[in-house]
Amino acid sequence: MELKNLIKDHIVWRHQIFKLAKSDLIKTYSGAALGWAWAIIKPAVTIFVYWFAFSIGLRQRAGIEGFPFFLWLIAGIISWFYIQEMLTQGTNSMRKYKHLITKMKFPVGTIPTFVSMSKLVVHLVLLLIVFVIYIAFGEPLTIYYLQLPIYMLLMFLFCTGWTLFGSVLAAISRDFSNLVKSCTTALFWLSGIMWPVTKIHSHIGRMILKANPITFTVEGYRNCFVHHVWIWQEPKELLVYLCELVIMWILALWVFKKLKKDMPDVL
Amino acid sequence: MSKDIKEEKKEKEDPIIEFRHVTKTYKLYKNDKKRLMAVFNKRIKYIPKKAIDDLSFKINRGEAVAFLGKNGAGKSTLLKIVTGVTYPTSGEVIVNGRVSALLELTAGFDMEMTGRENIYLKGQIMGIRDQEIHELEQTIVDFADIGEYIDQPVRSYSSGMKARLGFAININTHPEILIIDEALSVGDKAFRNKCVTKVNEIMFSGDVTLLFVTHSTSMALDFCKRGILLKNGALVYDSDIESTVELYESAIEVKSKEKKENA
Repeated sequence: MELKNLIKDHIVWRHQIFKLAKSDLIKTYSGAALGWAWAIIKPAVTIFVYWFAFSIGLRQRAGIEGFPFFLWLIAGIISWFYIQEMLTQGTNSMRKYKHLITKMKFPVGTIPTFVSMSKLVVHLVLLLIVFVIYIAFGEPLTIYYLQLPIYMLLMFLFCTGWTLFGSVLAAISRDFSNLVKSCTTALFWLSGIMWPVTKIHSHIGRMILKANPITFTVEGYRNCFVHHVWIWQEPKELLVYLCELVIMWILALWVFKKLKKDMPDVL
Repeated sequence: MSKDIKEEKKEKEDPIIEFRHVTKTYKLYKNDKKRLMAVFNKRIKYIPKKAIDDLSFKINRGEAVAFLGKNGAGKSTLLKIVTGVTYPTSGEVIVNGRVSALLELTAGFDMEMTGRENIYLKGQIMGIRDQEIHELEQTIVDFADIGEYIDQPVRSYSSGMKARLGFAININTHPEILIIDEALSVGDKAFRNKCVTKVNEIMFSGDVTLLFVTHSTSMALDFCKRGILLKNGALVYDSDIESTVELYESAIEVKSKEKKENA
């Protein structure tokens, strides 16, 4: 029922959602002198630091799964950049757009969607850069790239559901956004972004790790770029992820339904 | 219930807003943590605070109504419910028309964007086509009359400028129900007069309904013909504006006299 209303809101307000996504994107980068460049500089610096620390500092062996560490790293980490944005800024989205909640009649449930869309545009730009780097390093274009949109859609759906869940709770209480912030770094190091999942020897440990939706996404991107594996060749992982996706949305809709009417009074 | 509505529609009057036994209770928690816990645990205690208490009234199309009352009488909450921003705890609210609201001084501006960008954003959210907004843009800019600030971020505006721009947008986008909450009290006299003229103009020409909240009784007299006096969320008096203002002012005088005598 709640889902029906939410979908209806999205259809009725679709033009406004696109406009707001655009303005969110412009707003994020328009305040600074370098503007758009920051969308690239920030991840570039992060990648450089990790590459330096691991390849030069820790002298990691030549590569992972036959790939140079740098190439292996960027394939997975760009999806993390999007997830990270959704964890931090996405969770804050209801607070950020509280003028839409407290000052005018607006379908509040669409706020996470346009924030998510705006972050996805930055993600697409980064993805394009990764393509260019792969080509520059002499990697051949493979047919496996075609499944990238599928992984991207799955990631988008999961993160938008999460944001609906998280941003409503964060609107009700600041404690929640602090909780998420402190978990972000932990999630980064635990999700197999900096090291391959196959390095875990314990079978149970590997299973737990593979059930992590972030690991699924990161591995999915590497399936396209590095492993050259089709999404249906790992049906167990896919099934677990889809279950998690459904649970995430059920939770999000439950919280949204419960707190929708309280939000304007609290903000 | 639906039978009632049908019968009312047959009558000559045309209620655009109707409140039926509306009550709004705010839940006050000890702190944010308790509020978060209350989501998962129903036993967490809170203090219920009634902002609006069993309120019923009707407003017809084309009326101009002033809501008077002390701070905390429930005026702003009432306007928020009409706008659809907040929801009543119980009771029924019927609103038949597009609401254009100026709540708590601002019109829901995005602080990081410029005034001009906000005109477009606000228009888009209201569902106006870009072409039409483009046509309205100059009218709005002229009416707001805030000079070069129109291309500056709204966060750099004074409260007067925000009110000017908000008012200019709301009044020029063909509202059906216009809600003004205190917004004009920050404007100067010249702007106020401009607004009075413009409000009277659109009230005269169209089917605009005006809801007005203010502490300035002179402004209420300028704009409105009907007055509603609220006290602790309940309706105390509902009549023509002159007698409502008189009652409101005498209530304040009695209060201040009592205080003086007590002191």
